Amino acid sequence: MDELLLSKVRLGVVAELLNFDWIAFSELARSLDVSNGNLGAHLSKLVDAGYVEEEKSFVNRRPLSRYRLKKRGREAFASHVAELQSLLKATP
Amino acid sequence: MSVERLDAAAAQDHLEMVKRILAESQQRLCSGGEHFVVWGIGSAYITVLFQLVHGGLLRPAAAWSVPIVIAACAAFSIIRGRQTRRVLQRGSLLQREFFNVLWLTLGLAFVVDVAVFNIFPGLASAAIWSVAEAIVLLYIGMHGNRRAQIAGVLVVVSLVVANFASPGIAGYVLAAGMLVGYGGFGASELLARE
Repeated sequence: MDELLLSKVRLGVVAELLNFDWIAFSELARSLDVSNGNLGAHLSKLVDAGYVEEEKSFVNRRPLSRYRLKKRGREAFASHVAELQSLLKATP
Repeated sequence: MSVERLDAAAAQDHLEMVKRILAESQQRLCSGGEHFVVWGIGSAYITVLFQLVHGGLLRPAAAWSVPIVIAACAAFSIIRGRQTRRVLQRGSLLQREFFNVLWLTLGLAFVVDVAVFNIFPGLASAAIWSVAEAIVLLYIGMHGNRRAQIAGVLVVVSLVVANFASPGIAGYVLAAGMLVGYGGFGASELLARE
């Protein structure tokens, strides 16, 4: 099982990104209902692991961060979910 | 966290969250009505121009305005697309696929107009735009947009009618299809967004 995705927030981030080309930081925070600081820390781990790509820019002089799921993250998510399902099946 | 620290209840909770997120991430195709209005008007202009040249009412040299009009439409789409992208909070994979289809189709129509004019002379060159627009509209229609389905059919009907119309009005029929079908779809999208 993927240790990085054992966190519910990080698993939620990857699930959110799965069907999208990219999602903005504020949208991820709103959708997952987590604080900016908490989400930022989790996203850093996903970026460092090469699961998620970060794109920073400025819009109307305000910083804007967008996130995109990388192939490695997509593969990790698929195998992690499969293992979660196996765990449930194995549980009496 | 180790595997042992995730029990069945937590695994169930995580899987339910994943299922909920995936169920909520419905792919909606946002086509951007203003692009269709601009390209509908641009392509109708080009078609009317070809008709006028074909009818001898304008000199063939007037056809040189075609690349300029296409470049202006493309510039609008690029600039407006960038502006829209900045405001959006999410960009779906379906949306990216749609833009690939859009640019490939319109790009090929552009190449035909600019570099294949000996094989597609006069109105045939204009009709290529109707084909390209019908593909784009019907692609959107395939993803559940009823207005795009109707608009796509309108463009196809204009092609068929133009084929059987007299050569003196065929271009106007094609242009009407582009204006009403492509531009009209864009206008309806803008009105629906309001």
